[in-house]
Amino acid sequence: MKTRSMKAAATLAGAMVAMALVATGCSKGADTPADKPTVTEITFWSWLRASQEVTDAFNKTHTDVQVKFEQIPGGAEGYGKLTNAVKAGNAPDVATVEYAMLPDMLAQGNLQDISGDITDLVKSKYPAPIQELVTLGGKTWTVPLDAGAMVMFYRKDLFEQHKIAVPKTWDEFQAAAEAVKKADAKSRITDWNQTDSANFVSLNWQAGAKWFGIQGDSWKVTLDSPESQKVAGYWQGLITKDLVTNVPAEEVQKRKAAGQVWTQLGGAWAAGGLKAGLPDQSGKWASAPLPSWDANPASAMVGGSSFGVSKTSKKKEAALKFITWMTTTPEGIQARLASGASSTLPAIPELADVAAKNFDTKFFGGQDIYAVAKAALPTIKTGWVWGPGMRGVFDGIGEQFKLVQTGKQQLPAVYAPVQTKTIEDLKGRGINAS
Amino acid sequence: MPPTRSGLARRQYGVAALFTAPFFLLFFAFTLAPIGYGGWLSLHREQTSGLGLGGEPEQVFVGLDNFTKALTDPRFLGSFVTVGLYCLVYIPIMIGIALLLALLLDSAYARAKRFFQLALYLPNIVPGLIAAMIWTYLYTPGLSPIIDALEQVGVPFNLGSDAGAIGAVANLTTWMHTGYNVIIFFAALQAVPREVIEASTVDGAGQIRIAWSVKAPMIRGAVVLAVLFTVIGAMQLFTEPFIVRDAATTIDQAWTPSLYIYQLTKAYDMGGAAAASLILTVVLAVASFLVTRFSKKGAKL
Repeated sequence: MKTRSMKAAATLAGAMVAMALVATGCSKGADTPADKPTVTEITFWSWLRASQEVTDAFNKTHTDVQVKFEQIPGGAEGYGKLTNAVKAGNAPDVATVEYAMLPDMLAQGNLQDISGDITDLVKSKYPAPIQELVTLGGKTWTVPLDAGAMVMFYRKDLFEQHKIAVPKTWDEFQAAAEAVKKADAKSRITDWNQTDSANFVSLNWQAGAKWFGIQGDSWKVTLDSPESQKVAGYWQGLITKDLVTNVPAEEVQKRKAAGQVWTQLGGAWAAGGLKAGLPDQSGKWASAPLPSWDANPASAMVGGSSFGVSKTSKKKEAALKFITWMTTTPEGIQARLASGASSTLPAIPELADVAAKNFDTKFFGGQDIYAVAKAALPTIKTGWVWGPGMRGVFDGIGEQFKLVQTGKQQLPAVYAPVQTKTIEDLKGRGINAS
Repeated sequence: MPPTRSGLARRQYGVAALFTAPFFLLFFAFTLAPIGYGGWLSLHREQTSGLGLGGEPEQVFVGLDNFTKALTDPRFLGSFVTVGLYCLVYIPIMIGIALLLALLLDSAYARAKRFFQLALYLPNIVPGLIAAMIWTYLYTPGLSPIIDALEQVGVPFNLGSDAGAIGAVANLTTWMHTGYNVIIFFAALQAVPREVIEASTVDGAGQIRIAWSVKAPMIRGAVVLAVLFTVIGAMQLFTEPFIVRDAATTIDQAWTPSLYIYQLTKAYDMGGAAAASLILTVVLAVASFLVTRFSKKGAKL
């Protein structure tokens, strides 16, 4: 009896070991070079609109490289996922990196140095300010896709109906804000985003602030500056005077749908979201340059993405083939725009024309919004550098916004604590900063 | 040939080992090894150098530095205060309601017991994430019919205050977990010997008297167990405030210890996060010990 149970147990154990061996063996088996045409399969992570469509178009026209697209969340979650995946050794071959996050991703060692392969390409195709965004420490790290030039989308119908002039300066913007509130007590000129700080950061850039700079071997972090103070003071004024909606994001969307938010500030790419979110308001929106501080038009970049090869990828050639197709060929841009979901402004000037041709302008009453975005590009304030720790800066400002919303803090006071924390965090990571 | 006594014992050990091995294997792989790795991480910090461009971060040994940093961070200490306040509000209310409902279900007058058991348990089936999202909508002024109705009658519910935030989260977790504890308490009540209750009835005790003086003390064990699990769960509070913070602006990134730890990982501070996690583990162990100790003492009285 006992002997039999022992035998059974031994057989069971043996079976378990065998199963484990089979399980581990499986993953190896797939690599056998049995298939004659060698197809390199790569994976691609992104949250950008129309990424699936771009991937499908690439796969249809290419036989040597096939791409598997995986949707990931944008913002801090997505970058955390990438960082962890690189550590775990299962990162995608192609990663999406916004310009603002590139230094952060480099400090984490998430990207491969692909200078040797792409420096010439980037130098020859992209305008200098865009090149600067992806060139750090003398190396080129990613290939730029778009330029998130900041513009102002506005409800043309409502502005015309109430005979309010489209503001060109921030002074005019405030006057218009008062006029909007007077025209309809429920409406406001724009929404003050209580949690997402991306637009606010770029408004500081537009005012001439320079939050990060490199001095020798050290980062100089200057969030709190006279330029920043000017921006914070201005927006605090609008909030205090109840000239902008100051409600949670879910409520903002509801008010937008009800036509109670008359303008939206955002990158050129934001037009796609506007179209998708407010289909009923088709034909009523238009695009205009971002209001400026003086008579000279000025803009900044908000968002804007590039693609790099992750540190752990062993398929650099294939990854680069896909990346350059997405970013530098008319076909790649066409695929992104054809779906109608994306309103990306390609960073390469010729391709911007391709994009303009492919973008359905019905939502904007036939207006060529690409012309507005392109005109904004050369007005982007120079000298702004993104630094490492931007994830913490965006987050930190967002946290401070919550204090502002509850009235515990005024906007001009949001910079100092985030600046201190950023320097402390960078030093904690061994990065020189002051 | 009959096996000798010692041979039999040895064989039995062998079989026992074979059957327990999977448990210990998994326990080692998924509990002990991660704790060990956490311990190692907590003594290190990721460091790059210079401008931090392109270099891969290295793990540098920093001794107990991460622990002193966590223990001197007012935000980390503050998160324990928040959770403590939350426990003070949440646990008595939730356990109280659960006990009351269980006693009602167990009373001689209860009807449709099966239905109420199921209905009360339903919120517990809803995943915490979904529940938190639903409640966030219910907490958002302008979207929530409840908040709007309250405002109409002049009782504005201010989520923007510290008390409002704790109330909002406690309300949500009470909604979720009461049903579960009702089931536990009800099961324990079923085990109360019917003779005892009959004897009380004969002695002239009414339903309320029986519930309060006979039934409730007899299921003390179950209540203590529920409190223990609730304390442990409450200390690890994460999902609910993480979602509700979209509407409740005073919930900051370090509102609970778990949120604080999460926020450290977002700042790439794995060492600090590991250290804070271990501290939380110790606090949890002490808290569970105190709960069991305290209730045992109470039982003797």
